[in-house]
Amino acid sequence: MSFRSLSRPNARSGMGVADESKTTFHELQRKKTHRYVVFKIDESKNEVVVEKTGNPAESYDDFLASLPDNDCRYAVYDFDFVTSENCQKSKIFFFAWSPTTSHIRAKVLYSTSKDQFRRELHGIHYEIQATDPTEVDLEVLRERAN
Amino acid sequence: MELSETYACVPSTERGRGILISGDSKSDTILYTNGRSVVMLDLNNPLNVSIYGEHAYPATVARYSPNGEWIASGDVSGTVRIWGAYNDHVLKKEFKVLAGRIDDLQWSADGLRIVASGDGKGKSLVRAFMWDSGSNVGEFDGHSRRVLSCAIKPTRPFRIVTCGEDFLVNFYEGPPFKFKLSSREHSNFVNCVRFAPDGSKFITVSSDKKGIIYDGKTCEKLGELSPEDGHKGSIYAVSWSPDGKQVLTVSADKSAKVWDISESGSGTLKTTLNCPGSSGVVDDMLVGCLWQSDHIVTVSLGGTISIFSASDLDKSPFQFSGHMKNVSSLAVLKGNTDYILSGSYDGLICKWMLGRGFSGKLQRTQNTQIKCFAAHEEEIVTSGYDNMISRISYKDDQCTNEEAIDIGNQPKDLSLAPLSPDLLLVTFESGVVFLRDGKVVSTIDLGFTVTALAVTPDGTEAIVGGQDGKLHLYSISGDSLTEETVLEKHRGAISVIRYSPDLSMFASADLNREAVVWDRVSREMKLKNMLYHSARINCLAWSPNSSMVATGSLDTCVIVYEVDKPASSRMTIKGAHLGGVYGLGFADDSHVVSSGEDACIRVWSLTPQ
Repeated sequence: MSFRSLSRPNARSGMGVADESKTTFHELQRKKTHRYVVFKIDESKNEVVVEKTGNPAESYDDFLASLPDNDCRYAVYDFDFVTSENCQKSKIFFFAWSPTTSHIRAKVLYSTSKDQFRRELHGIHYEIQATDPTEVDLEVLRERAN
Repeated sequence: MELSETYACVPSTERGRGILISGDSKSDTILYTNGRSVVMLDLNNPLNVSIYGEHAYPATVARYSPNGEWIASGDVSGTVRIWGAYNDHVLKKEFKVLAGRIDDLQWSADGLRIVASGDGKGKSLVRAFMWDSGSNVGEFDGHSRRVLSCAIKPTRPFRIVTCGEDFLVNFYEGPPFKFKLSSREHSNFVNCVRFAPDGSKFITVSSDKKGIIYDGKTCEKLGELSPEDGHKGSIYAVSWSPDGKQVLTVSADKSAKVWDISESGSGTLKTTLNCPGSSGVVDDMLVGCLWQSDHIVTVSLGGTISIFSASDLDKSPFQFSGHMKNVSSLAVLKGNTDYILSGSYDGLICKWMLGRGFSGKLQRTQNTQIKCFAAHEEEIVTSGYDNMISRISYKDDQCTNEEAIDIGNQPKDLSLAPLSPDLLLVTFESGVVFLRDGKVVSTIDLGFTVTALAVTPDGTEAIVGGQDGKLHLYSISGDSLTEETVLEKHRGAISVIRYSPDLSMFASADLNREAVVWDRVSREMKLKNMLYHSARINCLAWSPNSSMVATGSLDTCVIVYEVDKPASSRMTIKGAHLGGVYGLGFADDSHVVSSGEDACIRVWSLTPQ
């Protein structure tokens, strides 16, 4: 009798991660050259590529505006806030944006590729999975970050 | 958002049974229950009310502790909760006391012990326990059926008396309480037992129309309430006067009687109190009473609370009422005075005035149930669960004309067009019925399952929402509809559609928790992402200046959005009504009125952000 291991990983899609995606993330993390980065899956090249970046002056609303209503994306956002003990902190949020109005094919593709992609990004503090605009409200970020 | 006023529900009553209300003479409040709420009402100002909604099951009785600090309340699952009477009503302790519903609850005079009686489903029907630890202080056998009431002698030596559906009155001595003797003087359910404030006597009243007075220490029968001029129906409740010389009884014969109790224990009738305005219907049967300092309070089956003055029994009482069941519809009407009309599904329509509270019950000739409700000036149109539409014209509180029209199908939603004279549109499962002047002029089959409807006040345009979430816009010409366009955005059946007062926009809400505001002329979405509810949206209202939209949902929240600002900057009222918000309206640009499953109506004032 052999028992399969209880922690089997979820289904994977074999998606690759473009080098550009990794370097852009490092720039956000180390050099703080971007406020946010939005990633898209390019099906022809079978890898995750950078779709859009935002400069540090842009706000959270600008970031939300760059998420499409009917298609899935991955995103990272650098969130600055002040804690209850009055210290300035900055945490990186990873967003798995999968609105209910998007195509089922897109949702499956993005969810199966997420783990592989996340493994390449070291230094994410919090992950948010969002299926509609109410789940990416600024309140949600404030509650999670401390 | 702050709570500005609460128009409380009335005690829930059941035909054939009395209810036991209690109160606190220090703060002049009375306590009663409705559904899962325990209501604390100030007798001097019925608008000053506090509601406790923490029971998981419908609550049945509630009682203040002798020092006025705690309230113990019991529910149908047999649980007793002891909580603070002031401020936040912090829970002290919760005990599972009986296996079935709790019918009566009493504190001992020192506030250390509580006795609870009720339906134990064959196991113990009465339990007495210490209030803080829950440990038993006696064994109570001797009853075989539901124990309707219990009482503790307020002075030493302590005694507990219980009475119930097995026609017995049982007497226990203690503590620790043990069975002493049983008395079978009554020939029907014994509904209530109460000790005099000095503990010298106690009285039991029963559905056999008799009231029997016993000695408080020995349980010997002393006398009876005199049968001549006695009640002609079951006596449901009894209450002693604070000086112990008189009792108040209420009965199914729709009267309350005050009796003088002599030292020897016989009762002679002093006066009969008749509630003015009673038209002799079943709803006037009196089911509950309380004598507290100078106030004599009686509760009728229909939920009317009458407060008499004990020092002046001939003065007519202060009466008020309210809803007992889910208030499923609300309309705010502006006329000579602004008032609110509320309708509950059992057919009761009440009128309320801001700042004053209860203002009258609409006396209807046919009490049909209400599912949909529309009101305009002096006319109300309702539809229920049969195929009829009722049109009621009323003046003050009397219905001047009430007619029912059969439309051939079960109505699902209705909308009035007051400016296009007398046009009324009603939707049924698959189409729309046009009514003009109270007569059906055409029935149009639309080919899809219809769930909601709105029509402009001038009767030129109508929007019909379907089960699939699509909004169909029609223009009305004569008695027919011409489809203009179909809007697709909602992902659930449409539950409500409303035009803004200035007619430039309309808002729709669906069962999938989403609401959308559209521009009427361009048919474009003006405000979307109104997805902040966590359960179906039941009702929607526009502010009079068309700048705000409020949505009420089954998740008990009311959310107010401003049309010019993004949906995320919304104002939320959480826990507006236990069980869900079903009716919503704007009293003016800064006050929202909401009603819900808990049979209460609340007015909220919006503080600008």
